Amino acid sequence: MKVALLACVCVAILSQDAAAYLQFTASAGGQTRVLKWQRTPVRWFAADRGAAGVSASDFQGAMARAFATWEAVPTASIAFQFAGFTGAQPFDDDGVSVLGFQDHPEMDRVLGATGFLIDALTGEIVESDIFFNTAFLWSTAAQGDPNRFDLESVALHEIGHFIGLGHSAIGETEMRPDGTRRVLGSGAVMFPIAMGRGITQDRELQPDDVAGISDLYPAGGFRESTGVASGRVTRNGTGVLGAHVVAFNPASGGLIASFTLNTDGEFEIAGLRPGPHVIRVEPLDDAGVDSFFNRPSAIDVGFLVTFYDRLYVAPRGGAGERVTVAVRPR
Amino acid sequence: MIWLVAIAIALVPALPATAQTRAAVPAGRFEVDAGGGWLGGASLGSADANLRAAAATPAPYRLFSVDTRLQPAPTFHVKAGFAFNSRFGVEGGLTFGHPELRASVSNDVESAPPIAVAERIDQYSIDASVIVMIRELAIGQRTLPFVSGGAGYLRQLHEGQTVVEQGRVFHLGGGIKHWLMARDRGFISGTGIRMDARLYLMSGGIAFDDGPRPHGAVSGSVFVSF
Repeated sequence: MKVALLACVCVAILSQDAAAYLQFTASAGGQTRVLKWQRTPVRWFAADRGAAGVSASDFQGAMARAFATWEAVPTASIAFQFAGFTGAQPFDDDGVSVLGFQDHPEMDRVLGATGFLIDALTGEIVESDIFFNTAFLWSTAAQGDPNRFDLESVALHEIGHFIGLGHSAIGETEMRPDGTRRVLGSGAVMFPIAMGRGITQDRELQPDDVAGISDLYPAGGFRESTGVASGRVTRNGTGVLGAHVVAFNPASGGLIASFTLNTDGEFEIAGLRPGPHVIRVEPLDDAGVDSFFNRPSAIDVGFLVTFYDRLYVAPRGGAGERVTVAVRPR
Repeated sequence: MIWLVAIAIALVPALPATAQTRAAVPAGRFEVDAGGGWLGGASLGSADANLRAAAATPAPYRLFSVDTRLQPAPTFHVKAGFAFNSRFGVEGGLTFGHPELRASVSNDVESAPPIAVAERIDQYSIDASVIVMIRELAIGQRTLPFVSGGAGYLRQLHEGQTVVEQGRVFHLGGGIKHWLMARDRGFISGTGIRMDARLYLMSGGIAFDDGPRPHGAVSGSVFVSF
């Protein structure tokens, strides 16, 4: 088996084809494969090492709850199985998926990261490891701890990567004087910046997360019961690469988004509840572009937020009318 | 509708000269009716596109706001009725409209200018009504006011007709019927025109909540009784 190690999922890999949601892909033999687990249940181990205020057992409990949250999505088919504690460390390329704490004081802005071992020919994930950085204080308290990051919330995000999801850009941030960003609000657990210490709200998935896992591991009539919005984002008639396209369903309140993933400016948003949607296009300016794309310089962020000039009606199964949104430069 | 009106008007001079118009009495047991009107608009509710706020408090962070409204639109209807006696009757009808569903988007967090986006829907309602003729308020020999009330089924199809929404419709109103002709014999026992004003309460369908939303409506039609 030919395998290739992708070191860290904090950088998403740009797909050559427009695809629903931001998923990881690998290219081999001229073909692009979406990375996903192909055999379930996916077995995972917990490292037998705790951290300050979090025992190994507490750690395992938080991981198990986060896995269960993803597994409970009714329109997705992936399953997980806790295989036991291990003395192995995350990021050992041993074919075993390990989640655990590690000391990385040099990574002072990284709470955690996920890595893969994949079969580059098939796109099958054969190992995925997650580390949580002990340079930060962690909590597994039910109500959270105002001085510590909530382990279950961050685990839910990292496990999203573990199953093959990239970052979502549904969120708003503001710059701090030191150049870091503060999250004002997020519409996805997969938003790349954590909410902050003591906040436990990201223990629950949002509609964008549910659409993401359902698109990757569809089940329960997902394709038949939800619709797709597809189309183009253009600027002066030319396709825009990397525009963030958000569909809002006023009836459900759900926000589901995707990106234009090629130079023609094409996008596709899957998992939309049938009915009318407001479509909003925005530049990727609420997090580092490199959180989403591995060639940030190619991404166009020089345009104004623009709404599609019609209500888009998502059908029950398949795609409706093709959407074209012409954005104006800043 | 236009051809129905034309037929009804044409019928009047074609009837025998001996036809008599009776004093505000429904001329037949069965009646068919066709016409058109205007259905007023109504708010369908507001919704905010909210993000989960990065704070311990549950108050959301608003990305933008959407206020939706069903715009006024012309309607077309057909009805069929049965009179139990000169005062009480029942009727059932189908009403069709093609109103615009408009969403006004505002308060964008990144200051995008407000915009109104829209789609057209096909709207059908099938309802049953009770009609009470108010003979005491008859105007001359040929004109009778009436009140009506009823309920029915609402079916709305989004643009492209791929998504169907269903709801309920209740109505209360009144109007006048004016007989252009009435007689005791012959297959057609009467014709006339009718004006309705109704208050509809619609619930379900494309609205964001199940609460009733009021729509005013006026219509005019031509009827033929047998």
